[in-house]
Amino acid sequence: MRREACRFISKILLGTVAMSVVTIGSGGTVSVSADDKTKGKDKEVTLRICNWEEYIDEGDWDEEEKIELEDGTVIFGENNILDDFTELYYDTYGVVVNVEYSTFGTNEELYNQLNLGDVYDLVCPSDYMIMKLMVDEEVEPFDKSFFDESNELNYYVKGVSPYIKNEFEKNKINGEPWSKYAAGYMWGVTGIVYNPDEVTYEEASTWSILQNEKFNRQVTIKDNVRDAYFAAMGIYKKDLLMDKSFTESDNYHDELSKCMNDVSKDTIDDVEDVLKDIKDNVYSFETDSGKSDMVTGKVVANFQWSGDAVYALDQADEDDFYLEFAVPKECSNLWFDGWVMLKKGIGQDEDKKQAAQAFVNFMSRPDNVVRNMYYIGYTSVISGGDDSTVFDYAKYCYEAEEESEDNIAYDVSYFFGNDSDEEYIIEAEPDAMRRQLFAQYPTKEVIARSAIMNYFDDDASVNINQMWINVRCFDLKDIPESVKGMLILVFVIPLVVIKIKYGGYRRRISS
Amino acid sequence: MKHNSFFRRYLGIPYIIYLVLFVVMPLFVLIYYAFTGRDGSFTVKNFIGFFTQSNTLGTLFYSVVLAFTTTVVCLLVAYPVAYILATSSLKKKSVILMAFVMPMWINFTLRITALKEILTLIEHNLAFHPFINSVIGMTYDFLPFMIMPIYNVIMGIDKSLTEAAGDLGASTLQSFTKVVLPLSVPGIISGVTMVFLPSMTNYVVLDMLYNSTYIMGSLIGSYFSAYDWHNGSMISIVLLVIILLMTALTGKKDGKGDGKKKEAYV
Repeated sequence: MRREACRFISKILLGTVAMSVVTIGSGGTVSVSADDKTKGKDKEVTLRICNWEEYIDEGDWDEEEKIELEDGTVIFGENNILDDFTELYYDTYGVVVNVEYSTFGTNEELYNQLNLGDVYDLVCPSDYMIMKLMVDEEVEPFDKSFFDESNELNYYVKGVSPYIKNEFEKNKINGEPWSKYAAGYMWGVTGIVYNPDEVTYEEASTWSILQNEKFNRQVTIKDNVRDAYFAAMGIYKKDLLMDKSFTESDNYHDELSKCMNDVSKDTIDDVEDVLKDIKDNVYSFETDSGKSDMVTGKVVANFQWSGDAVYALDQADEDDFYLEFAVPKECSNLWFDGWVMLKKGIGQDEDKKQAAQAFVNFMSRPDNVVRNMYYIGYTSVISGGDDSTVFDYAKYCYEAEEESEDNIAYDVSYFFGNDSDEEYIIEAEPDAMRRQLFAQYPTKEVIARSAIMNYFDDDASVNINQMWINVRCFDLKDIPESVKGMLILVFVIPLVVIKIKYGGYRRRISS
Repeated sequence: MKHNSFFRRYLGIPYIIYLVLFVVMPLFVLIYYAFTGRDGSFTVKNFIGFFTQSNTLGTLFYSVVLAFTTTVVCLLVAYPVAYILATSSLKKKSVILMAFVMPMWINFTLRITALKEILTLIEHNLAFHPFINSVIGMTYDFLPFMIMPIYNVIMGIDKSLTEAAGDLGASTLQSFTKVVLPLSVPGIISGVTMVFLPSMTNYVVLDMLYNSTYIMGSLIGSYFSAYDWHNGSMISIVLLVIILLMTALTGKKDGKGDGKKKEAYV
């Protein structure tokens, strides 16, 4: 009992401290509410949302940013999308929804916040964190009504890409599919952004570039154990992954997934050696500097999530700097971020649940999808269903400006097509296979060699984190014997000297 | 008079609340986590782990070497500056001093970003000299903390002491080594504590200057982000004890120095 109480108090305390840190760190919680006049009369509901930093359209676009699509649709982010949601919700349901919007920096940060007692109704973690939350039974399933395709306001079920839908139904935790608890938001793969002046396409199309001595200290990798582990696995299992009998086998995709999710102790130990090698070869383990370091020329290639790759290439274009994106031929990591409702927040409150589901649908409305995609650069899981807005936007962004024989037919049917005979093809610039379009909507071939990385169970988690610390920590064995001797001299002699000298003065002064 | 002191006592309340809420209580939380395992039962495994794992020891070693080097460099740069500023008869002393302290008013990540570009110009590729870069970055960051206390202490030394040393036949060098230097030791010590301790844990500088090796701060952070609050807390506690021991050791001398200074003023 006492321990319980102590825990409770400590949680509150840590929570207070963490909250104040988080509030200061992330710019705080933004509270959006409808016009004050409407308050008092109408029913109110509070929706606490926690999302990634800079992962939603905040409006305030310039006039020239207005997006005019082929069919005349105009998309313009005037207000913060949260304000638009509040307005729409009031118009539709007559309920004032107070959106308390906060942000997190990493999945682990979110998980720690939740464990400290922060309560949210709707959060947007990555695939593996959704799995972890499902295992912990923290998440609330979506209502049946959410999946009703006849309701025109259910933009998510109507618009989600068939490919994504399939992944969300195929992947299960404790026998239950993801789709029951999670609605996708953004998705992508991982790959290498490179400077084609220094690195060839072939050199960039393998995880081994991280070990390539030709680019000694000129490549960066993410400072994140999961991404680093995946990339190192790509190198460690290269022979198997590139083996024809493996790639052409019938159950290639399942085997690939199994292979990339191997977290046995032996594998972890071997990956540790690979990562130590990588550490000695890369420029740094970066969290956010990779993009700018490419443009300033500090590095020639860096590990990147596809959404950030789009952003990096866009930014570089603005500086007249040409970058390309490649996905390693061994395999790639397919990832999602998705909305999940939390039991602790939603509770039995049906109004809250309705608001949360309406928010997911609002985010999935094609024009809002385009707003978010434009604003953050990532790829939405929404293809639009019957609505062509999202595909038109892809064409708007990537269709070749001039007709030319060199233009290529870029096939994105796997993502946009509902039926197998529907074709969605973008006539793109000749270099599209290495540029933003490729990062935004990877080809079918890339998708085929992509695997989702599961959450690590407790044992694997402990082992992998230990491995990561081993890689990153200074090893006492690295000190050469001669240096050891010198260090003793450097540390001990001054101490002795100070002691004698200082003691001496003290005696003299006091006498 | 009585009313006055009664009122004064209550002025301390905000600070005590602050102290209890944000210093004392979190400390107990840390201790709680440090001595429990994942299942919440009491254990000293984390404590033993600190001293038996080569990782923590290696990191401790690396941090100490880094912090030590930074402190020495800071001291070597700061002392002459503080000495010259304090003893010169320049009229605009405070302006020059301001020039050293002013960088502190600029956000430190911004400063390190600028430093990163400067160092890149010089070294071309920062990744080959992570240790030296970290020392430079930390020195840049913490230099004012070393200059200020030394400057203040030297300013406080009675001029007549050096004059007396001169009258008694000491050369300028002798009067420096035998009078000014010993009397400025309290300033050096408080400068050293203000530089040494933070540079053992300030991993942001390392991150920003592309040093991929962990120091104590980043090691604690990595445990926390791996949901292992117990080992993270233990490392914090051990580090805290080391720091306390060091301040206790230096504090003794510091206190005596202060006493002497006061006597000099009397």
